[in-house]
Amino acid sequence: MDRRHFIKQSTLLSIGGLLIPSTLLSACRKETLFEDINYDGKVIIIGAGAAGLFAAYTLKSKGIDFQILEASANYGGRLGKLTGFANFPIDTGAQWLHGKNSILGDLITKSNTKITLDDSETKYWFNNQLVNSLPQNTDIFEGDDLPDISYNDYALQKGLGNEYKYIVENIAGDQGAAATRLSVFGNNQDEENWNSGVDDFKFQETYFDLIDTQFASQVKNKILFNTIVTTIDYSQSTIQITDSKNNTYNADKVIITVPIPILKSADIQFIPTLPNEKTTAFSKIGMDAGMKVFLKFSNKFFDQNIIGGPICAAYADDSIGKAQNDNVLLAFIMGVQAEYLTSLGSDTAITTAILQELDTMYNGQATASFVASHVQNWTTNPFVKGAYSYSTIDMGDARKVATKPINKKLYFAGEAMNTNGHHQTVHGAVETGYREVINILNDIKK
Amino acid sequence: MRAVLFGILFFTLNSIMAQEFRTDISYKYIFANKWDKAIQTYNFSRPFLEEKQPLLMHGLNASVSYIFKSSKSLKHGINLSYTYFKSSTDNKNMNNILNLHFLNLGYIIHYENNEKTKGLYTDLIISAVSSGVFRNVNDEPFEYDDTRSKAFGIGGDLSIRAGYYLNLKNKIYLSPFVLVGYTPYIYSPNSEALINQTKGLVSNNWTGIFTTQVGLTFHIRQQKND
Repeated sequence: MDRRHFIKQSTLLSIGGLLIPSTLLSACRKETLFEDINYDGKVIIIGAGAAGLFAAYTLKSKGIDFQILEASANYGGRLGKLTGFANFPIDTGAQWLHGKNSILGDLITKSNTKITLDDSETKYWFNNQLVNSLPQNTDIFEGDDLPDISYNDYALQKGLGNEYKYIVENIAGDQGAAATRLSVFGNNQDEENWNSGVDDFKFQETYFDLIDTQFASQVKNKILFNTIVTTIDYSQSTIQITDSKNNTYNADKVIITVPIPILKSADIQFIPTLPNEKTTAFSKIGMDAGMKVFLKFSNKFFDQNIIGGPICAAYADDSIGKAQNDNVLLAFIMGVQAEYLTSLGSDTAITTAILQELDTMYNGQATASFVASHVQNWTTNPFVKGAYSYSTIDMGDARKVATKPINKKLYFAGEAMNTNGHHQTVHGAVETGYREVINILNDIKK
Repeated sequence: MRAVLFGILFFTLNSIMAQEFRTDISYKYIFANKWDKAIQTYNFSRPFLEEKQPLLMHGLNASVSYIFKSSKSLKHGINLSYTYFKSSTDNKNMNNILNLHFLNLGYIIHYENNEKTKGLYTDLIISAVSSGVFRNVNDEPFEYDDTRSKAFGIGGDLSIRAGYYLNLKNKIYLSPFVLVGYTPYIYSPNSEALINQTKGLVSNNWTGIFTTQVGLTFHIRQQKND
């Protein structure tokens, strides 16, 4: 072989030797998970909240048969929309998009949904007066080496005395918890995993509309409403689900997306019973009472945000970010405050208590200009029983244990089952919806 | 001005000292399993996107190297290499681009034996690797909380490269070459947050990368090979 031939052949061989395996490898590398999967089993999803709807939407995209069983007469779970109360639509459930770096951020961009950064200003009810700022820094709940004690105890340790009680209650309330129950350590760990961004956005329409138009609309024909699941028998190869009317439904896989209080209170009976570690994990995940009260007034006497009331620790002007501006004030009530107001027994009593507090803050203007109220108490909803999940003291890895699938048959989704820091949020619930479809398909593949 | 003068001085000194100065351009193929998984999950979880995000696999590489003067068959040198990968989709209302950059600084062990394998050379390259992944949405850097979304990484790479010198004129050579490389570990904790917008859901905060490369090198050599 002469030199020219040698060069030519060795060059071609080398290029071919690299390009052929690379091309073959490229062909094997699929753009999507489970691109070629073919599954003819049936999946039943329990709960038509954000997680259940998104799981259904993902299953539909893969051509997998599914059915959604929903206990209530509506879909959306803790998302809801109220029209006719004001000249803009009202979010009765989840309201703020917490950060843009999420799957729902993408969906908002893709669907051209109008959102606005909520940079509204805050006043504090402190020592019986409204002030623009607080004497002491309350930003103490993030950092290294935080103890596994409650927000309440930690605030006292750090010198935030009784005058800060309802300021701290508001900080914990943001996490859906009473300040005496939320763990400083646990919540800080959650924050460290958070990667969606800290800016909050409001929808010009509602959060419910985003979910409704973008994916619920594609799967809602597969929802059986008013179907209260009472038993899940996974002892045989086919899972049998029974509802409160004794109807039965068969499935190969079940995705359970019900709120954590439903699992904690054993409203659903499992056959065989769930492992102890599972039920213990459920019991460690916190979820407190929560309600939203919308108050309509004839004039806007109130500030954009008022923090620190003894009856309601967080008020917010609900018209911010909306196309219209009726004078609607949202009372966002969590934890012990929601428990107290619920104990009053009626919507009228709840409204009266809040108006009295606002009258104290604004010299009687609340009652004088009051037009109407709407109380959305998520605590008394028998299919929800609270606001959203939070990290309790000594919780450990309860969320991870709670989330583990059982026997390749039962899968757990919903905001409380989000283990990557995004629990409490709609996008966190959505992530668990597609995560459990991935888990199902992985189990099938195995 | 000082920087320019320093650059000229550095280049001149190195040219005098160098056995060989090289610059090359090549096609690079990568297989980064964890980044694949993040993109595959992104595509899987977003049925609302008509066009799927391509995996990061085809890129362009450019590098410069100095091989230091030595009379032995085994020489050593340094290498600076830059690679660019792009993954782009154009969906209605949302075009999404992932730009991946690698910068490698490597130590070369260069081997050629003109008596046995005339013209053939082999390099073993041990490099420190830095990477950066950036996301653009609708032709603008993707930002949240007024900060650009980005994922930097750091790791180490081992590559073997083989080429053949073709003399063009005096000290000027051209060589086709092939390279295979492996980055066992590149620590890039933010990559999942950038690609799939989650953390800990899809993959660990690191990936291994397998690379192949084919290209052409332009050489200025002190010693003729034929």
